[in-house]
Amino acid sequence: MKKNPYKVLGIKAGASYDEIKRAYRELAKKYHPDRYRNNPLADLAEEKMREINEAYEYLMKNAGASYQYQGGYEQSYDNSGAYQGQYQSQQQSSYQSEYKTRYKYEEEADWESRVRTYINSGNLNEAQRILDRVTTRNAAWYYLQGLVFLRRGWFDRGFSNIQKAVNMDPSNFEYRNALNNLNQQNTGYRQNYYYRNTYHSSPDMCNLCLNLWCADTCCECMGGDLISCC
Amino acid sequence: MFGYVEPDKPELKIWEFDVFRGYYCGLCRAIKKRYGQIPRLTLNYDMAFLYVLLDSLSPDPVTGKMQRCFVHPTKKRYIIAPNIYAEYTADMNIILMYYNLIDKWKDEKNFPAGTGALVLKKAYKKSRKLYPEKCEAIETHLKRLAELEANNCDSIDEAAEPFALIMRELFECGHIKDEAERKTLGWLGYNLGRWIYIIDAYDDIEKDYSRKAYNPLISQYGFDGNDIKGFKETIKEKADFILTYSLSEAEKAYSLLTIEKNKGILDNILYSGLIARTDRVLGERGRSNEKESV
Repeated sequence: MKKNPYKVLGIKAGASYDEIKRAYRELAKKYHPDRYRNNPLADLAEEKMREINEAYEYLMKNAGASYQYQGGYEQSYDNSGAYQGQYQSQQQSSYQSEYKTRYKYEEEADWESRVRTYINSGNLNEAQRILDRVTTRNAAWYYLQGLVFLRRGWFDRGFSNIQKAVNMDPSNFEYRNALNNLNQQNTGYRQNYYYRNTYHSSPDMCNLCLNLWCADTCCECMGGDLISCC
Repeated sequence: MFGYVEPDKPELKIWEFDVFRGYYCGLCRAIKKRYGQIPRLTLNYDMAFLYVLLDSLSPDPVTGKMQRCFVHPTKKRYIIAPNIYAEYTADMNIILMYYNLIDKWKDEKNFPAGTGALVLKKAYKKSRKLYPEKCEAIETHLKRLAELEANNCDSIDEAAEPFALIMRELFECGHIKDEAERKTLGWLGYNLGRWIYIIDAYDDIEKDYSRKAYNPLISQYGFDGNDIKGFKETIKEKADFILTYSLSEAEKAYSLLTIEKNKGILDNILYSGLIARTDRVLGERGRSNEKESV
């Protein structure tokens, strides 16, 4: 697929550097891999991210405020195709080898790595089959079971399984991270709503006074004072 | 169960609202043209949303004109000329509504629903011929749903799955040729269906309890029969998490689609209409001006 870099970033042809940067930053946040972790569409988001990165790099190199897009991008895009494939396979293999060294000496963790591979490739039925056969249900089991549920769209069970994994092994960074990520998705979505809507969330006088009072109290706690009369 | 998907009207621009209503009216006309006057009554906003979404994926310009219509004879309205997506959504609407009425008739021996199903039968047969695989898939999911209900399923995820899968089936429209796009639409549909099912379950806790009908939230969280308001309050946070998470997943799918037009309307629904509706149901405000679902 060949696309106009301006269209990819959703800006007008001839946009300034600042505009390009702003558009890029916003889109990069939107398609960030963290947001699509445990989402069956992660590969599509990754592709989109790549498109955006390319468009951005191209524009940063070639565009000035007065630059007119003439279709040269498509060619350079073609050239970079080969580079990309290479990059990806390299990344993947280094990832896999890291995997192997991590799990090589832990035989009992063998099912774990297999489940992970199946989850990553999107084969949830197979992952579930292995999980069902495991008898010792440790933190890792609950964590992976949680991931499988999340991928299927069963968020209630996904959440409680990951919560359980965190409770069983509170020191594990990966599990805690996944749990935080879940909560973050929700607040992120809601924040977007509050930020967007002036109608529902315009601050009223009560809120303003309350905030001032809170700020004042906090200041007083620290030994300072915000509003001297109270 | 239907009619939960809606725009956040105060945040919509006036012309956007006109266009959205134009789509709704266009869909209504498409139903009339294909199936006659009576089946138009079954139309709801959920289907209008699907129509706008599918149509917005194609870059063809929106065509429509000011017209008078039979349902609102006093004033001319902007009505969008129906295209293949309108026809597709109209057919799906008939199929879904027919099953819905049949289900009500079987479950509750609801007489109006039974009559409605009889009236819709001819239209249903016609649309079934066009989409035999979709109908079969939907029937399988409905059968599964009936099983889960009969067994008093105590997992909200499991109970919500059949309806979510039905919505996925609807959103994966065959007229969309790009496979990745269809998959994305499917995930959007799945999560939206999940949201509709769960929000409907939360909304109906009192009604279901008093009628001793199945409700997945009562089954999962075990209502002891004392204080139903208190029960709703205790599970509110949980429900909020599941609902918002489903919406956030639907939004992620949505942001991967290439929207060629009507972005304002769709953004409004995805980013604020749905969450505003969630808050309203969870907070139990504004019930009085909500229409009873079909």
